[in-house]
Amino acid sequence: MIISVWRYSHLLFAIVSSVFLLVASVTGIVLAVEPISKKMHSYHVSEADTLSLAKTLQNLNAKHKEILGISRDRNGFVSVSVIDEGIKNEFYIDPTTGDKLGNIIEKHPVFQFATNLHRSLFLKSTGRFLIGLASFLLILISISGIVLIAKRQGGYKQFFAPVVRENFSQFHHVVYARFTLIPLLVLSITGVYLSLLRFDILPEPQTSLVVDFDAIQEDPIKEYTAFAFFQNTPLKDLRELEYPFSEFVEDYYIIRLKNKELYLNQVTGEVLAEENIHPIQIISSWATVMHTGEGSILWSIVLGLGSLAIPFLTITGFIVYFKRPKTKIRNKLSKNESNYVILVGTEGGTTLQYAKELHDKLLANGLKSHLALMNEYSYYKKMEHLIIITATYGQGEAPATANKFIELLQKKQQKQAFNFSVVGFGSTAYPNYCHFAYESHKALLAMNNSTTRQDVFTVNDQSFEAFNDWCHKWSESIGIRIKVEKPKLNTNTIPPSTFKVIDKQENKKDNTFLLSFKNLNGTKSQSGDLLSVIPTKGNQERLYSIGKLDKETLVVSIRRHEKGLCSNFLYQLEQGDKLSASVINNKSFHFPEKAKKCILIATGTGIGPFLGMINENIKKREIHLYWGARTSDSYSLYKNYIENAIKEDRLTCFKPAFSRNQTEKLYVQHLIKYDQELFVEVLKNKGCIMICGSIAMQKAILKELKSLCEEYLGKDLSHYQNRNQIKMDCY
Amino acid sequence: MYKNSFRTISMLLIAFIFIGMSSFDKESELIYKCMIQMTNYTGEKAYVAVSLINPEGNYEKTMYIQGDDKEWFPDLKNWWRFTNSSNENLDAISGATIGNGERNIISLSFKPSQIDTGYKVRFESAVENQEYYSIDAEVDLNTATLRNKVEGKGYIRYIRMVPNK
Repeated sequence: MIISVWRYSHLLFAIVSSVFLLVASVTGIVLAVEPISKKMHSYHVSEADTLSLAKTLQNLNAKHKEILGISRDRNGFVSVSVIDEGIKNEFYIDPTTGDKLGNIIEKHPVFQFATNLHRSLFLKSTGRFLIGLASFLLILISISGIVLIAKRQGGYKQFFAPVVRENFSQFHHVVYARFTLIPLLVLSITGVYLSLLRFDILPEPQTSLVVDFDAIQEDPIKEYTAFAFFQNTPLKDLRELEYPFSEFVEDYYIIRLKNKELYLNQVTGEVLAEENIHPIQIISSWATVMHTGEGSILWSIVLGLGSLAIPFLTITGFIVYFKRPKTKIRNKLSKNESNYVILVGTEGGTTLQYAKELHDKLLANGLKSHLALMNEYSYYKKMEHLIIITATYGQGEAPATANKFIELLQKKQQKQAFNFSVVGFGSTAYPNYCHFAYESHKALLAMNNSTTRQDVFTVNDQSFEAFNDWCHKWSESIGIRIKVEKPKLNTNTIPPSTFKVIDKQENKKDNTFLLSFKNLNGTKSQSGDLLSVIPTKGNQERLYSIGKLDKETLVVSIRRHEKGLCSNFLYQLEQGDKLSASVINNKSFHFPEKAKKCILIATGTGIGPFLGMINENIKKREIHLYWGARTSDSYSLYKNYIENAIKEDRLTCFKPAFSRNQTEKLYVQHLIKYDQELFVEVLKNKGCIMICGSIAMQKAILKELKSLCEEYLGKDLSHYQNRNQIKMDCY
Repeated sequence: MYKNSFRTISMLLIAFIFIGMSSFDKESELIYKCMIQMTNYTGEKAYVAVSLINPEGNYEKTMYIQGDDKEWFPDLKNWWRFTNSSNENLDAISGATIGNGERNIISLSFKPSQIDTGYKVRFESAVENQEYYSIDAEVDLNTATLRNKVEGKGYIRYIRMVPNK
């Protein structure tokens, strides 16, 4: 398994803290409700905020005989504590009248329970320590997460650029993490801060006011309503006010405001002592507010959503980790004894599996091969052939295991001449296809004693056939023959089942034919799935897109290649013959369940799966089919299907483009320009565009769509790709 | 006539006795305001139990418990042994804990028979993972000295009491 330090630490911290973070986040979600429910009580009398303390005290004293103190909380609720008939009581009041508004809101047992669990896991000091530590790890997870996102996105400037979608977990892990980073960082930093306070690691300075009792004056006697301080201080600045304990002049008012604490002589109204609140106390108060959301419904909701993200991110994060294929590199031969050096640039590890397959096959053929990561590039004393197999990461960046390669190349010139080849893995669906492979190729060309026989060879969507094709050509060029086997990737292969040929139609002029099969085993399949056919034992599989005509009938559209092993094997099948093949689930190319409008685009035999999709359109949803072929002769094979579908309203319209019918070549991508309003509308209204056929056609179409998106929709094409509005199956 | 007035007088007398008794009953509760001032110790918030101690030196009843989480009550060992076996309802007489340097003002009620007859109010205190003070401070219910400041030995700096208004 190949991982950068950031990714490794991100994962490690998550593993260590996951259990505690899950507990803290689930209880945190519950606790986010508390400040909201509290704030919902309307005990805040807003007119009272500007009331002076003198007036407030007067109003309260008129209603209550023995007041101990007044306090005002973060919600602006004012409460008094009184002794009434020998019983100490505390309740909210209306400061303008002195009347009771309601009892102090007691902490609901659920919140009490959640608070204890959240703070200490019911493990007292040990639990508090663990939670504090988990909170600290969350800071590290967030920071490493920020770095990882920036790396994936190709820099901090692109931090909020559209995310390249690989699968559900990966996509949503990144997308949601970006949104919840701020509340998560705030929660974790304030959480650590509060823990440090709790364990007295951060000093919490107390205000220590000293009263000079010898200097206390007993005159001039003033009414408390005439005290300048009470007259000039509005109620909204108050935190707490304690009445003098007794009527002796040595007892005084103790007053805590937002920013200072002071003692007030109860007879003269003179300030006995005064001190500003220490900045640390203000920070602590802020940390509490930021961590609990007390006093703000909006912030409580933000924090609640942040907490909610933790279980989600934990689960998707672990799924991403476990889905990543793990391959270890073991070399029998050292770098200096090998003639063939294969260097791999990979992020997730899939590319490595292909490279390893080639490496194993070279060894099996008695060739001296050495496999390593691109970042391990070094001097290779006996190297004759250098093979670079690399993916591209994010927006055309080097993958994690190859980010130092180009720099290393420039530093370490090989002593002997060598030949090199570059194979790039990527997806044409995204911009900067195989960009890093081209960069590497350029850097290698610039070396003194390097030569190459081929340009960069690209492999789209981990196509094994393309890779196999390259291996075949390359091995021939060095005078051997190697046959690579498909590494076991995460595809759901169903064991082979038997199909009976029930119909065969042929277009001799065009060298194409349609085969209809009846499924004898009852294997489930959908239009868009792939039929894997192995012509003779030991041969490579070939994949054909399936169109499903009805519950048991499948149709496959095939072009016959003169020397094509598999197409000729299928061509010789006659009605009634049986075929053993397996169905591969191709979820990303199934007809969308919800989209109201769909556009299907195909060239040549790529129409195959669409025949099935159109046939299954019993709900009569709007489907527009665009089809490109050389001449109108090619149409004869599909004519019946299309005309019937239009008649039965299963197909809205059919628009062909025949490239050789007229002098000026008309390709299917040209049709997009004519009908651009339809394309824009479909993308805008969550419709779907499906593309099946050649890679060249796919590239041309995506280019057209991209400019449409930019011009009319103001969004990048990837926005729609990420929402599965563009589905492709090209070869 | 004589009989009637006798009846009226006896009725009045009974009424007086009743009124007198009831008012006497009300008067009988002597209410004191009590201040618990904590020292500047370091650590968690302190738990303090306030109990009435009879002349024999035994617990009579719990007057107040400063502490809102029952989890920590057993730390106040002596008091817990008493209250745990005596089925007192603590909910009505418990209040929030306070931290170092802070003060708490509570209300305590006594019967006149408990004043000047050898009763005491005991304050015992405990802090998580720190020492337990079985008698942090003790105030004699003695009219002459009741208003004096009583110094504490543990987390309590002093106790002050004044009659309620």
